[in-house]
Amino acid sequence: MSNETYASSTRIFKELLDEIGKVVVGQHEAVEHMMIAILCNSHALVESNPGLAKTLTISTISKALDLKFNRIQCTPDLMPSDITGTYIIEDIGGKKQYRFEPGPVFANIVLADEINRASPKTQSALLEAMQEKQVTVGNKTYMLDKPFFILATQNPIEMEGTYPLPEAQLDRFLLKILMDYPTFEDENEIVNRYTKNIVPSVKSVVSKTEVLELQKLTRDVPIAEDIKVRAIRIVGATRGKSEHIEYGASPRASIGIILAAKARALMKGRNYVSKEDIDVMAYPVLRHRIILTFESERKGMTTDQVISDILKNVK
Amino acid sequence: MDELMEKILKLQSDYFKRRQLLFILDLISIFAIFYAIFLIFQVEYFLEHSSLFFSIPINLIRIIPTILAFIISIIGALLLHKNDHKIKFNILVENKYPELKEKLRTAYDNISESNVIVESLKSLVLSGLTIVSASSLLSTSVIITKIILVIIFISGATIISLNPDIRIPPDTIANNFKNLTGIGNEETNITVGDITGRPENSEAIGSNGSGDIFGKPKIASIEGKNIDLTLYSGVDTGFDVRDTSQTSNQFIKSAAFPVDIVGSNVSDGGYSMLMKKTETEKMLINKYAVERSKI
Repeated sequence: MSNETYASSTRIFKELLDEIGKVVVGQHEAVEHMMIAILCNSHALVESNPGLAKTLTISTISKALDLKFNRIQCTPDLMPSDITGTYIIEDIGGKKQYRFEPGPVFANIVLADEINRASPKTQSALLEAMQEKQVTVGNKTYMLDKPFFILATQNPIEMEGTYPLPEAQLDRFLLKILMDYPTFEDENEIVNRYTKNIVPSVKSVVSKTEVLELQKLTRDVPIAEDIKVRAIRIVGATRGKSEHIEYGASPRASIGIILAAKARALMKGRNYVSKEDIDVMAYPVLRHRIILTFESERKGMTTDQVISDILKNVK
Repeated sequence: MDELMEKILKLQSDYFKRRQLLFILDLISIFAIFYAIFLIFQVEYFLEHSSLFFSIPINLIRIIPTILAFIISIIGALLLHKNDHKIKFNILVENKYPELKEKLRTAYDNISESNVIVESLKSLVLSGLTIVSASSLLSTSVIITKIILVIIFISGATIISLNPDIRIPPDTIANNFKNLTGIGNEETNITVGDITGRPENSEAIGSNGSGDIFGKPKIASIEGKNIDLTLYSGVDTGFDVRDTSQTSNQFIKSAAFPVDIVGSNVSDGGYSMLMKKTETEKMLINKYAVERSKI
């Protein structure tokens, strides 16, 4: 099965991206990174201004992958049971009994919209599901379906009344994806597509089994020792003495960069990880794991600028 | 052993054999060049006359230039090939064949792995390596050029060793040394002995000398400076150590303090008082002083 999936992987990714492209205009990098997070069997955090097709992109991906999709709109009054599910009393044949009603987390792809608006208690429930791929309600543990992918979104503006995710919880997201405004040409295409009676739709091009096979294949992509060493040095450089970095990335970032680079290589149809994969994936893997110094933030520096400097200096 | 591994090791072995050949060719070239230089400048002559080699037997001195040339050639060849051991063969091949870039090293590093992707990479690299050869990594023309150079250098060294006329006489070297350094401008004629620190005629020591250890040396070492003691027939102009003209050594009488007995050992006031006396009185005082001095 792996052989067949690998042989057709280039075609699968091409069809998948073409299908998503029917609905989502532009945002190629964001789509690619979301796919990488799914291939790595991990999760992603998306940060963008409102109205940049975060929900549309992830729901389109789930349709194209033939996966069950659920959306959670996070608010301060959202309770953990609203996510995980709860026991309800059911009358069966005149006999009342408890039945577990699964929450929205029981899906393959879950969009946790504006996760920073949920209370820390609810965030923790969600993040536990992310890490353990299981949910415990009462005394019973329920395994989540595979593949399981959470895409959480954050709004960089309107931070009032939010509960920013603690660094330890941010570390559990493999990637932090930034979505920017579309170009003029892309926006023109968006307007053309969505002002007509026929709304674009997608069809499923990849089965759930194939997704799981692709996840397995991702870890099989070989990497050269010197490229692996470079990835580790990049992460190590965030911990060194730097005038810009207050706290650096954990070893989880090293794993993240290499795994994401492998997924990127597979998506690009390569059977090896290149230096370029590492450099490209260093940005989304590290940007939420680095805390800049107050002085650097005051000067308006971004984590991407710091990562860029690190990439230039690491050999 | 894996087929890919075998192929890589064979290419690597061929390549490093060629580098070893280059090392030997460089060694021979440097040896031939320095041996020829030592022959031309007759280094053994300088070694023989140098005060540093008093204790070395003559026979050994004759082979010292050969040994020196060999040592220099080893050092030179090692310096030229000092980075050979740092060569990463896979990177070298990748740089020469961009289509194998990153693939070869990845396949090599994951040679023990076995899965569908690694196997596909290995077969891809293996097919890519069919066009790779050691001769393409280290050009045969470079080796041939070096062989030709070696032949030229060895021929040159042989011709020089068989033909003593090509060699530069030691005195010519000494004169050129004087011209180049300018040290000899204040001295008469720098000889081998000036450079080596040993008298030129030291070979003749004891043969017909006047009994002293160096016979009749032409050079004297005074306050660390070698001076030619040979008296020449007055050629050249100006003063130098071989100038044979007479030098005036006459004293000029001081006007303030004339040389006389009366004037000695008296104060300035006493002296002016004496000068006021008549000549007869001065004679008497002088006579008195002479007589007193005899007591």
